[in-house]
Amino acid sequence: MEKLIEILNEIDDSIDYSSEKRLIDDQLLDSFGVITLVAELEDAFDISIEAAEMVPANFNSAEAIWNMVQRLQENE
Amino acid sequence: MAYHTLLYGFAFLPLCLVLYQLTPQKHRWKVLLAFSWLFFYMISRKLLIYLIGASIITHYTGVRLELLRTEEEREKESAAGKKKKEIRLRYQKKGRQILALGILLLLGVLVYLKYYNFFVRNISNVLDLSVLPFTLPEKKLLLPVGISFYSLEAVGYMADVYWGKIRAEESLGKTALFLGFFPQIMEGPICRFTDTSDTLYAGKSLEWDNLSEGYIRIFWGLFKKLIIADRLAVLVNQIFDNYMEYSGAVVAAGAVAYTVQLYMEFSGCMDIVVGSGRVFGIRLPENFRQPFCARSASEFWRRWHISLGVWFKTYIFYPVSVSGLVKKWNQFGRKHAGKYLTRLVTSALALFPVWLCNGLWHGARWSYIFYGMYYFTLILAGMAVEPVRDRFLGVLHIHPDSFGWRNVQRIKTWIIIFTGELFFRADGLRAGLHMFRSIFDGFDIRKFWDGTLLGLGLGRADFAAVIVGCIVVAVIGSMNENGIITRIRKARASETAKWCVMYGLLFAVLFFAAYGDGYQAVDLIYAGF
Amino acid sequence: MKKIVKRGILFLLILILLLAGCSVWAEKTVNSKRGIVNGRSRAFAEISAEKENTLDVLVMGDSESFTSISPMELWKQKGIAAYDCGQSGQKIQETYYMLKTALKTQTPKLVLLEANLMFRNPGRIENLQTAISEAMLYHFPVLRYHNIWKTLLDGYSPDQDEYKGFRIRNDIKSYNGDENYMKETKDVRKISTFVDGYMKQIIDICRDRNIPLMLYSAPSPVNYNTAKHNAVQNYADKHGLPYLDLNYKTKELGINWKEDSYDRGDHLNVFGAEKVTAYMSKYLSENYDLPDHRGEEAYKEWDRLAEMYRQEFLAVKGK
Repeated sequence: MEKLIEILNEIDDSIDYSSEKRLIDDQLLDSFGVITLVAELEDAFDISIEAAEMVPANFNSAEAIWNMVQRLQENE
Repeated sequence: MAYHTLLYGFAFLPLCLVLYQLTPQKHRWKVLLAFSWLFFYMISRKLLIYLIGASIITHYTGVRLELLRTEEEREKESAAGKKKKEIRLRYQKKGRQILALGILLLLGVLVYLKYYNFFVRNISNVLDLSVLPFTLPEKKLLLPVGISFYSLEAVGYMADVYWGKIRAEESLGKTALFLGFFPQIMEGPICRFTDTSDTLYAGKSLEWDNLSEGYIRIFWGLFKKLIIADRLAVLVNQIFDNYMEYSGAVVAAGAVAYTVQLYMEFSGCMDIVVGSGRVFGIRLPENFRQPFCARSASEFWRRWHISLGVWFKTYIFYPVSVSGLVKKWNQFGRKHAGKYLTRLVTSALALFPVWLCNGLWHGARWSYIFYGMYYFTLILAGMAVEPVRDRFLGVLHIHPDSFGWRNVQRIKTWIIIFTGELFFRADGLRAGLHMFRSIFDGFDIRKFWDGTLLGLGLGRADFAAVIVGCIVVAVIGSMNENGIITRIRKARASETAKWCVMYGLLFAVLFFAAYGDGYQAVDLIYAGF
Repeated sequence: MKKIVKRGILFLLILILLLAGCSVWAEKTVNSKRGIVNGRSRAFAEISAEKENTLDVLVMGDSESFTSISPMELWKQKGIAAYDCGQSGQKIQETYYMLKTALKTQTPKLVLLEANLMFRNPGRIENLQTAISEAMLYHFPVLRYHNIWKTLLDGYSPDQDEYKGFRIRNDIKSYNGDENYMKETKDVRKISTFVDGYMKQIIDICRDRNIPLMLYSAPSPVNYNTAKHNAVQNYADKHGLPYLDLNYKTKELGINWKEDSYDRGDHLNVFGAEKVTAYMSKYLSENYDLPDHRGEEAYKEWDRLAEMYRQEFLAVKGK
């Protein structure tokens, strides 16, 4: 989780990721941010994120992202 | 029978409402489907067969994918750890084939009908050069109304089922209604299944609030379309159809006028569409969110024709950005090219197909492809200069959210939009380039008020109507932007106020709309795409 | 549900009241300020503004009607008070409501309908649209005249160049095609059910008021052929209407296709119209009981207008 927050802060450090629940819905994270994030996540956690995962629900909060990462790690 | 006609608002829609209400709740969606196909038939006649065909293909592709998933689950249950992955991959491959077939069929028809002649023309141009003795004949192909819209919806639906985002719809009729729902068939919005499915099939009884607010929305759309857009159409057609005769400020005025016309017309039509859904209690997604408040080209596209942007983002941008090629570049770039460049190239790789498709989607013309590439270049350039811009602002101590800077960005964005729409409307790329160059050919700002503009088909009164209309739209728009409208609606405006708004809008349209003496009815622009 | 029906009805009632109120105002304004209405609706405004019960002949139809009969010439020849209330490209729905509008203030002794518009058929949906919108325009004239607010900013000039619906068009563009364009044939052009329906209503209105209705065809090689003639002739026979096809009488009329059309045989110019009208004045006075109003006190304006017409006609003839 810490590693994730670190990655997120690198993309945009003006957001409080511990409380924000609408990163995508409120467009705090734009699509370019998302694809940068995806690349970072794949690299850091050794997972493969597929098109099916690209839904707002998976990226709206740090927690949601973390859940997705864990799920994908299990699947590997 | 387009949405802005008397026949639609005062006959077709009310008739549908009455029959809908008289039918038992369980069967109400069938009334909607029947009226949807009737609507389609009235415009495109026999071409209705295309819509029905697309509905069948979409539906059974969905059902097949869903079946595959249940099979997969069942097999997985009885399998152990390692095997699960194998099963998943096997089913993924199968699913992908089915999806590919579905998409191929749907887009195949779209591409054939829409681009065949363009393709042939350009091929023959090349063949002529190499002096080959045969040419492919051009064909007279009729486009069914809304094919560009429902095809995208169908592809989105199938992909969503494939990705497991939604469960496939079990009833063929309901899938057909999702694709063909009459208010959105001509000009969108391009709905995703989750946008409408919960309200579309519910068969909710009519409610006064839905009816009155729906009709307010419809009248508001008529206001934009008939008072502003149809007037500007006169001036815009005059300038763009005789572009050789004009230069400088007049051409610039033409570009601005066309942008305003297109916005009023398209967003006005969307108001009618959303309102038409609302009267049945069906929620359709918004397609516009005050686009002229945008501070950059990319923000503009998140506010203008939103459903198309969302579609491209979901079904092209993201899939491409997580595709093998882009991932490979990412790994390579991180090691060798630095973060800035990696990010930029990644974005470019994912953006290019989006904007190519955006251009092509509007039609088979080089000027539309140019239009797509224009925004591709500008958005990418915007990303590229971001770090430099931020440093520049820092040095000058300008806050990025300060009032002044915000407006500088807005005006910059306006100029980008106006220029883009100039090329979009111009009769071909060559005409567009000619017009663009001619703006700088003796630009004289006095032309805006010295009476030159009065010679383009609109009189003083017409300009007054356009200006007052635009001010009203701008005020309502800024109220929307600041959430005032939402607050008013939440506070449940009194019934009297609502009636005043209804009569006010209706009478504004009846008195000031561009119909009757001296005006021609103007067809919906986006219905042609 | 009851609530919706009640409120819906209330909404429509108030709407109708408001529209009716505005319509009274609009009609008054239009009648008191001549020339304030331009374009298609002008014909409606002008006919309603005519002095009550002064017109004996109404000439209706599309542009073939008001380019072929000149009321001032009828006046000059026989003192017949006629009015051209056609519109370019008039649709049958418009004809119907034009007649109803005219009959609000006039009691003509003859309605003369140019038959070309019976073949206009833009398709079922378009027909339905026009039917709805024309009905609304008729019942709520404020919708027809809604553009008069524009004159507040654009101004207007009371037009002087109109002679009871006729304008002097003196351009000459010859028709060089076959002068024997009414070729023998058994073919019959189809008259749409929509036109038939409105025609029946027009016939009924005239019967109810004892106004003779007569069909005629203006000479026009572009618009007429024998198939059309046959259709109108059949229709007229079926409903017991007299029909006069001037396309068979071009020799008798003395039409010279080199000089008498302003757009290559589509429409007659003023010189052609003079010839047609001369013939018609004789024909009408022989077949119908139309009084000679020349010199009457109530028709002073007609004498004045006829003089203006003569001056203008002589001026263009000299060219």
